[in-house]
Amino acid sequence: MNDLLTLYGKTFNSRLLVGTALYPSPAIMRESVQVSASEIITLSLRRQNPAQQQDNVFWDYIRESGCQLLPNTAGCKSPREAVELAKMSQEIFQTDWLKLEIIGDDYNLQPDPFGLVEAARKLVQLGFKVLPYCTDDLVLCRKLLDVGCEVLMPWGAPIGTGQGLLNKYNLQTLRERLSDVPLIIDAGIGAPSQAAEALEMGFDAVLLNTAIAKAQSPVLMAQAFKLAVESGRAAFNAGLMLRCQTASPSTPTLDMPFWQQAENMLQE
Amino acid sequence: MTSETKAKIAIAGGGLLGRLLAWRLSQRNLDITLFEAGELSMPGGACWTAAGMISPLSELVNSEKQVYTQGLQSLNLWSDWSRLLEQQSGSAVEFRRAGSVLVAHGKDRSELVQFLRELQGKLGESAREQVQPLDAKSLAKLEPALHSFEQGLYLRGEADINNHRLLPVLLHVLRENGVKLRERTKVNCAPGRILLAQGDEAFDGVIDCRGLGAKGQIEGLRGVRGEVMVVESREVVLQRPVRLLHPRYKLYAVPRSDGRTVIGATEIESEDMSPISVRSSMELSSALYSLNPAFAEARILETRVNCRPATMDNMPVIQNEQGLIRVNGLYRHGYLLAPAVVKQVENLVAQQLLQVV
Repeated sequence: MNDLLTLYGKTFNSRLLVGTALYPSPAIMRESVQVSASEIITLSLRRQNPAQQQDNVFWDYIRESGCQLLPNTAGCKSPREAVELAKMSQEIFQTDWLKLEIIGDDYNLQPDPFGLVEAARKLVQLGFKVLPYCTDDLVLCRKLLDVGCEVLMPWGAPIGTGQGLLNKYNLQTLRERLSDVPLIIDAGIGAPSQAAEALEMGFDAVLLNTAIAKAQSPVLMAQAFKLAVESGRAAFNAGLMLRCQTASPSTPTLDMPFWQQAENMLQE
Repeated sequence: MTSETKAKIAIAGGGLLGRLLAWRLSQRNLDITLFEAGELSMPGGACWTAAGMISPLSELVNSEKQVYTQGLQSLNLWSDWSRLLEQQSGSAVEFRRAGSVLVAHGKDRSELVQFLRELQGKLGESAREQVQPLDAKSLAKLEPALHSFEQGLYLRGEADINNHRLLPVLLHVLRENGVKLRERTKVNCAPGRILLAQGDEAFDGVIDCRGLGAKGQIEGLRGVRGEVMVVESREVVLQRPVRLLHPRYKLYAVPRSDGRTVIGATEIESEDMSPISVRSSMELSSALYSLNPAFAEARILETRVNCRPATMDNMPVIQNEQGLIRVNGLYRHGYLLAPAVVKQVENLVAQQLLQVV
């Protein structure tokens, strides 16, 4: 089946986006990315000296992966800072794709919704393809769409916590109300089952870093996430059965009188 | 054997590896020449910037098992070698086997749990024997300056060495042992030859330990920027290396005998050698301050920046062909791995020389 992910007019087979930070080594990072089959990888210019960008062996190594690069603005706390970093990233990585991240709280790295909208407006005007990392607030998401974002990346939980989908009610609301918008669950995914759940709920993709990079075997964990994402997506496409209280045997129990069945149901 | 019949060995690079190798080989009746692009009395490499920690357990969490096994091997070698060097030079190198302490603030308690879990994942149950959990009381006994912490871990087997004593001592011993020292001499290496600006020189064996100076000769060799600060405090005295675990800001503090403490180290994927950034100095300072607020009045004596030579798998690399051995990529594990790596190279040199004879 031809089930492609389309973001800003570009199509992808994989619905798993991964980060490139925190790995034990660049070699393990690259192997994990390969095994994950991801086609979009995020990377951060943070902490780099703007005056010294030529000849970075590490960046070259990441570029060789052939993936769509998604530079991020990790660590930025104001729209102005994010816009500057975005311009620098565009120049260095030769892409107008951008994961927009503006941190509003130092401890849990929660996105600043107000700064986010302001920066997104500016960056869209500058021609960036903005993928904002946002909270699961419907109104915020709408505002981001209003200023020209075509893809949204609501969090599952704060960055690096591995808590999974903390507010399923909000996430479900987003999915239902923004049914035409590509939604990627970004941050907070700690286990493959959580990634599968996000796709089962109809989210278009997931983005994660720590869960793979900090696993004891990152390469094996990358494979686990690849399978989970494929599985979750297949389940969504197949149509999940509805949850119900009454056990219903998959084999009809012909020998049981129907009033007894009714009695069983009453006892539930 | 007279000097004409001694095998001639050239070592390129006067950092930690180059010095250790020159020292070890100079005890084997070989004619050794050590080439250094800079000045040997003022080492410019990562070996001088480093804090000199020898911590196989702490490093295992983010590394392959080989780092741990070679680290343990190096620990034992340091124990012997530091004694020998002290005998030969009459000066202390301050090898200290007093373990190290890991702490985390209350809300980062999970970092300690995670650390233990990762060690157990890699070492099995033997991890428990090597790591002693500390409560406030036992911690205060071990490190009185860390009285505000409720929990920590004690890694009994770890050690450190004062590199600012060790490197000059090695230089002294090299001179004593008749190693030919050629400073301010930038070279390239080829099998059996040292390439100088003014022409080639022939040797029976060449060992290339130039670190980032060998860039282009070793696939995927890159520099990883690190920044450290040296502070001096009269109020806070640590007994041994201390690491602070935090989700984002990692810090180690290594106390020296002279009241100074080396704190570090950032790790940035860049070959940028410019001075320490404001951000890094803030992170290091605030992490230090959080160990004990009395550090606020410590004086910053020095900041140092360097790039660690590393390969793409962050593991040491030894390339061996007849007449040329290249050693590189000790990354953030210079003092942790150097003796074990030097031992391997010593064996390779011995094999190569046998083949020549």
